[in-house]
Amino acid sequence: MTVTVSDTSTAIRLRENRVTLQKTVTACLGLICALGVVVVIAALLGSEKLPVGDTLCSLVSFGTRQCGLTNDQFDILFQIRLPRIFLAAAVGGSLATAGASYQALLRNPLAEPYLLGVSNGAAVGTMLALLFFGKMEWSRPLMAFVGALIATFAVYRLARGKVGASPERLILAGVIVTTFLSSVIVFVTTLMDATRIRSFTFWLLGDLSGATKALLPLAIAISIGGALVLTFNARSLNLLMLGERDAFDLGVEVSRVRTVVFVVASLLVGSSVAASGSVGYVGLVVPHLARLSLGSDNRISIPAAALTGALFVIVADTVARTIIAPRELPVGAITALIGAPLFIYLLKRA
Amino acid sequence: MGFVFLGRLHYRTLLWCGIFVLVISALSCTRSTSPSTKTSSNSREITDDAGRLIALPQRVDRVVSLAPNLTEIVFAVGGGESLVGDTTYCDFPAAAQSIEKVGDTLHPSLERIIALRPQVVLVSTASQLEVFTQQLQSHNIAVFVTDPHDLEGVFRSITEVGEIIGKAEQAGILVAKLRERAAAVDSAVKGSPRIRLFYQLSAEPLYTAGRDAFVTDLIKRAGGESVTADVPGAWPKYSAESALAARPDAVILPTGGSMGEGNSNVAEALSKSPAAQHGRVYKINDDHLVRPGPRAVDGLEEMAKALHPEAFK
Repeated sequence: MTVTVSDTSTAIRLRENRVTLQKTVTACLGLICALGVVVVIAALLGSEKLPVGDTLCSLVSFGTRQCGLTNDQFDILFQIRLPRIFLAAAVGGSLATAGASYQALLRNPLAEPYLLGVSNGAAVGTMLALLFFGKMEWSRPLMAFVGALIATFAVYRLARGKVGASPERLILAGVIVTTFLSSVIVFVTTLMDATRIRSFTFWLLGDLSGATKALLPLAIAISIGGALVLTFNARSLNLLMLGERDAFDLGVEVSRVRTVVFVVASLLVGSSVAASGSVGYVGLVVPHLARLSLGSDNRISIPAAALTGALFVIVADTVARTIIAPRELPVGAITALIGAPLFIYLLKRA
Repeated sequence: MGFVFLGRLHYRTLLWCGIFVLVISALSCTRSTSPSTKTSSNSREITDDAGRLIALPQRVDRVVSLAPNLTEIVFAVGGGESLVGDTTYCDFPAAAQSIEKVGDTLHPSLERIIALRPQVVLVSTASQLEVFTQQLQSHNIAVFVTDPHDLEGVFRSITEVGEIIGKAEQAGILVAKLRERAAAVDSAVKGSPRIRLFYQLSAEPLYTAGRDAFVTDLIKRAGGESVTADVPGAWPKYSAESALAARPDAVILPTGGSMGEGNSNVAEALSKSPAAQHGRVYKINDDHLVRPGPRAVDGLEEMAKALHPEAFK
């Protein structure tokens, strides 16, 4: 008897898994197609006008053929515009993935890199790297990662009272760490000379123009790798949404999953902050958008959030670099302008 | 009921607050206008670059400067002994460094300025100190704002500062000398073709000089033509692809002065420009290009000689 019961339950679970897998693959394929279309459109737009036909022809050949483009136009497309679009995608994907996994792990809809103070931790790390190891480019993402990790654990420790971490305590701890680190940032900027302050304030608002080619492959690798690792932990995260104790009873290694999420999310936030400063609202709005349209199963919503985040930041950065061309806006201003009303709309609908 | 009562109370509190604010502002208005009307015999009135009319005593011998270019002007017209305070950015001439520091241009200390009892505080709008200016005024300290957008504006600043501190004659001589040098550059580069150039304030992120920057006028006088001369603003952040597409024939890098050596390489977007390929990348001391003071003419001469070496043989 017992054998047949467990057999049927295993069969049901297997079928469920297959349905989820199918749903995940369909959603991701759809989003990847949309991402492709948006990348092409974004590559056609910029402060310099490129001939549409020739640009498409060159894009389709993956840069192996110049088609009708002049050398300058070819450089604009492949040396300036596309790297920036890919960086936007990596940053958006990273922040949205981090947000989605924080929200699942901490069972808190407001958990987000920026509100938890993780972005500011990474920002402080990057600033210190720039101040002390300005010549070494790789020191920036490394220090940003360390800063993000310290901020994450600080918030988590602060949030854990005698009765465990309550959602309110967590957000409160996040706000405290964020404001503390903001004042550290202000303090460090006043120590800098006047000429560097301008570029720092721009960078702090989230700016993709300083994209150094050295950091681009790292940012892309971390965003894809991080999203995959967290998607593979999505089942445990689903169970964790029931509560840490229940998840533990159901066989989830809670502390291991927590460490994985904290470390991977810190890597994601660290690499994107080091490359582009603090781009706000992506980690908050995008996971909600993904969950509202595809359900709260993390196996679907985490990869979907990653792809949607990439889409969102590409669109925002395209606006930022074209709206007052040839001048530019920081992309963080645009994500906040789009993100805040979108969040209010989602809040009213939910 | 309770709600209505609360609402009414609220309304009444607001009303009283409004009356209070009105009375206070009326009082402060009368207080700030009284000295200027009272002391008309031994005071004078001048208009600054922000269009504000300010009252000054006839003899000014206590001045605070909040910008390095203004400190340079005060010393250049021979008024160094009247300078009682300046900023940590004020490093030229050497004597400026031993003047009491009131903070840097962006974060001056109000207390220290008040303690120095200046008759006038010289401010450059580049430092964006509007709120600070109002605070100083509320303590009856006159604030003179300069805002030059071209070399003529710099000459005007020198003349005005000279008049304020009683060195009008020296200022006149200085301006005449500077004008002569600027005219010499003018006639030297007259026949040469204008060189299209990019002024790179910083590479990452890419900042340049726009329509309102006084260096845009210097570039024109030096026989160049800034490719960003029509971009709105003084120091806009510029699109890398537009910089690449502009194909400038020369690049000016302000570097090596108080900004340090950070800006000594051309931005990646300009690495294939005709300027970089023909080695026409010119480093010029940033203190001569970003400070609208007497040394701006040095910057003008250096730029003209770099762009048109043939004209100065």
